[in-house]
Amino acid sequence: MITGTGIVKTFKQRGNVLAGREVRALRGVDFAIPKGGAASFIGESGCGKTTLGRIIAGLESYDEGEVVIDGTAMSGLKPKQRQPHFRKIQMIHQDPYSALNPTRTIHQTLFAPLSLRAKQTGRSKSWIEERAAEVLALVGLDPGSVLARYPHQLSGGMRQRVVIARALTVDPEMLVADEAVSMIDVSLRLGILALLKDLRERLGVSVLFITHDVATARYIGDDGELYVIYRGQVIERGAVDTVIADPVHPYTQSLLSAIPVLHGLERPGEEPVVPLSSLDAADDDTGCLFASRCPFRGDRCGERPLLQVTEGFPQEHACFYPERRSVIARPLSEV
Amino acid sequence: MAEQAPGVRIGGLTVVYKTPAGELPAVRDVSLTLEPGSITGIVGESGSGKSTLALSLLNAVQPPGRIAAGTVEIDGLGDVATFTGEELRKARGKHIGYVFQAAQNSLNPLKTVGKQLLDLGRSHGVEDLHGLVREAKELLGRMGLDGARVLDSHQHELSGGMRQRVGIMLALVLNAHLVVLDEPTTALDMITQANILKIVREVHAERGLTTLVITHDIGVVAEVADRLAVMYGGRLVEQGPTREVLGRPRHPYTKGLISAIPRLVGDIDEARALPGRPPTLATVPKEGCVFRERCALRMDVCDTVDPEAVAHGPRIVACHAVTVKEHA
Amino acid sequence: MSATLIPESVSAAGTMRRNFWRGVWRVMKRKPSRMAGVVIVLGFVFMGVFGPMFFPDHLPGDVNQITDPPSWEHWFGTDPQGRDVLALVITGSRYVLLCAAVTAVITVVAGTAIGLFSGFKRGRWDTVLMRITDMKLTIPGLPLLLVLATVWKFGSPMQMGLVLGLLGWGGVARAVRAQTLSLRERGFIEAARGLGLSTTHIVGKELLPSMAPYIAMNMLISVTGAVYAQVGLFFLGVLPYESDNWGVMLNLAVFQAGAMIQPNALGYLLAPLLAILLLTLGIVLVVDAMDEIFNPRLREE
Repeated sequence: MITGTGIVKTFKQRGNVLAGREVRALRGVDFAIPKGGAASFIGESGCGKTTLGRIIAGLESYDEGEVVIDGTAMSGLKPKQRQPHFRKIQMIHQDPYSALNPTRTIHQTLFAPLSLRAKQTGRSKSWIEERAAEVLALVGLDPGSVLARYPHQLSGGMRQRVVIARALTVDPEMLVADEAVSMIDVSLRLGILALLKDLRERLGVSVLFITHDVATARYIGDDGELYVIYRGQVIERGAVDTVIADPVHPYTQSLLSAIPVLHGLERPGEEPVVPLSSLDAADDDTGCLFASRCPFRGDRCGERPLLQVTEGFPQEHACFYPERRSVIARPLSEV
Repeated sequence: MAEQAPGVRIGGLTVVYKTPAGELPAVRDVSLTLEPGSITGIVGESGSGKSTLALSLLNAVQPPGRIAAGTVEIDGLGDVATFTGEELRKARGKHIGYVFQAAQNSLNPLKTVGKQLLDLGRSHGVEDLHGLVREAKELLGRMGLDGARVLDSHQHELSGGMRQRVGIMLALVLNAHLVVLDEPTTALDMITQANILKIVREVHAERGLTTLVITHDIGVVAEVADRLAVMYGGRLVEQGPTREVLGRPRHPYTKGLISAIPRLVGDIDEARALPGRPPTLATVPKEGCVFRERCALRMDVCDTVDPEAVAHGPRIVACHAVTVKEHA
Repeated sequence: MSATLIPESVSAAGTMRRNFWRGVWRVMKRKPSRMAGVVIVLGFVFMGVFGPMFFPDHLPGDVNQITDPPSWEHWFGTDPQGRDVLALVITGSRYVLLCAAVTAVITVVAGTAIGLFSGFKRGRWDTVLMRITDMKLTIPGLPLLLVLATVWKFGSPMQMGLVLGLLGWGGVARAVRAQTLSLRERGFIEAARGLGLSTTHIVGKELLPSMAPYIAMNMLISVTGAVYAQVGLFFLGVLPYESDNWGVMLNLAVFQAGAMIQPNALGYLLAPLLAILLLTLGIVLVVDAMDEIFNPRLREE
């Protein structure tokens, strides 16, 4: 179980020597990802979802709040003591091209973490070789033909599988997949997604999926939770299918309305929500963060709404005027 | 705006790239007609030849590539494939507007957008530069931007979506009526993408354009295109009206692509991954069907004979299995 | 996908190394100019190591042949003491090359170490080290050497190489730091940290190999730099003439034999110049191959 409470992160931009501008990447985020579970962070780029993922994977520090991994709070620990905890959480990067060292063969890439593991557990060298072949087989690659290769000799899809295999060498508890398929060929994407799903089912690895594509998030785990993040705040959180089918926050609704409709297979939702302006026009830091773009803004929006459950809605949301709207496209066959 | 939207007829186009292993075709024997005033979408994965095909429209395939055979007839211009030098340079920009892949990064970081606009105008011998700027501001305003501010900005001061709109403006400002958009929404967010696609549709209608959209994302094509063409391994495997192709795909590759898209509702296990992986220039089969390695309907004939593009009503499909079924 | 032969079994480190050298050989064979470069550089190494062994410590001078023009007997003529110029070039090469090698090693080792440490640690260490580097970069090399020459005689090439090396690492440190900073943001370095791999591993096995072509290039180029620097110093005559050195030869050719006005002494002037030119050429030709040697993609293709 990995939980976080009140995570705050502020970046200081060093654009100007005199006046360093502060960017509030995360404004007090809570999350909880159970063992073997799935969670997805969705939102526009710059909303803080990647920063949050990196904090969870131990690659980024945070200013306030607490990350707890299997009952151990991280903030009280020294970096050296934190390391074994954060190692249980492995990041799968977006770009499989830069995630593998081009000067090292796949064998070398897998060998390094495995030999560390072998040293810690007192296993033999032959175990390393066996385990390397095993993790490659787990991700659907043929060890015999892949081990001696360099990354440039593999396709993008194969590289991403190697990246996942490398993460598996340390027996992780959770994989953090940050836009893990956006740079992969379309016909191969589903294969990678299916692999992550399969690893969840077979190894009990939990998956945190960070994306702007809601449909892929759903594919990884429709039993998981969806966190919709807007400008560093979770504005809607609930079971995947609930949030997708019955979103209540206008921002979630506009995100879902923006998903292309496969005309010929689907019909568009009846009440699409289009934000009044684009994200870069919104820099108001008081009140509801979405208010300046929200077509449904009301009198109370000068205040900052908190994430909460209100009557009539199963999911948590941060909106004073929640309302269900039919925004997503539905298959024609359903009519 | 007296000019009409031009039609484009690509006939038997083959583009080859010189490699150590000899000249390999990136686009092979592709025939495609863009009706005047239509939006056509070309869908394909990396290495499918879609970008090369788009570049051929401008006769802008860079060495080591070259157009080896075929014609690219554009109304009011002629066969662009035979153009050279000055003739070609003038056609680009003035008649054909091109929004490059990752237009987000294709602006000069050292010059303001306005300066780049003036450079463009001068290089095409535009006399009325004030008129050009006015036109540019109008276009940017049309796309929901503050024209004056954008023209005064450098690339780094604009967001991804804004840069993309600047790219579209630069493609249209010389009054081109044939517009090619290469991956117009890659690396953009959903909301920005929806916004850009809406703009593409509206500008297309208002200015009377013929538009070609190149993308790997079927969703993008589904949103904007009237006609959809699917490329694989340098071949055009299926084309037809968008709704028909999406609703009832014929070619096994099109079918596979569509069923590999995860959906928002329904059973998630309905989504099926395509086996195998797309070919590269070097691994594309020399003879026979390019898709056979990944095809569920593979027959003996597929190994030796490249299926011809056969018209079935408004649909054109290049697949032996489909042809056999239609004639059975 | 390239059609390289992939061994079926898991390859051990030994075969990896063999493959590497086979790859190097392939890269070298690709262009005849590279082979020429290798031959030239090896030739100079041979000359520096074994050349002086063929000659007595003090070259015999023939008083009947003072400042003679090139002949069959003396290919580049003789010097004002009647010594064979070619023999002087060969005996002088050891000092020049040894000093250049020492300089190159110190430049690259110090520069890489400081650059890596600075870029990898960032923060306070980075600030301090880079300020030192900047300060060092602002010290003008030649005047400092002139001052040093008044107190130090530079009789041994080691001393000379040490001084030149300590003066030369600044640029490499800056460049290596910049590379480290950009590489450490790459996914594979982050992944290595996430996997809990040691800093030694990350720096030695992940960062260094990625910078290898760059470091190798710098090393080769600093060899030529060191040759110029020391030859220049000796030519200026600020150092004693005791040692055999191409710079001393140039100085004597111009100021003693009067090569500028005396055609007979032209060989005396040209021989060391040609040697320097040839060495530079050889190094430049070899540098061309560095990128391909250390990048597996370019190496295998």
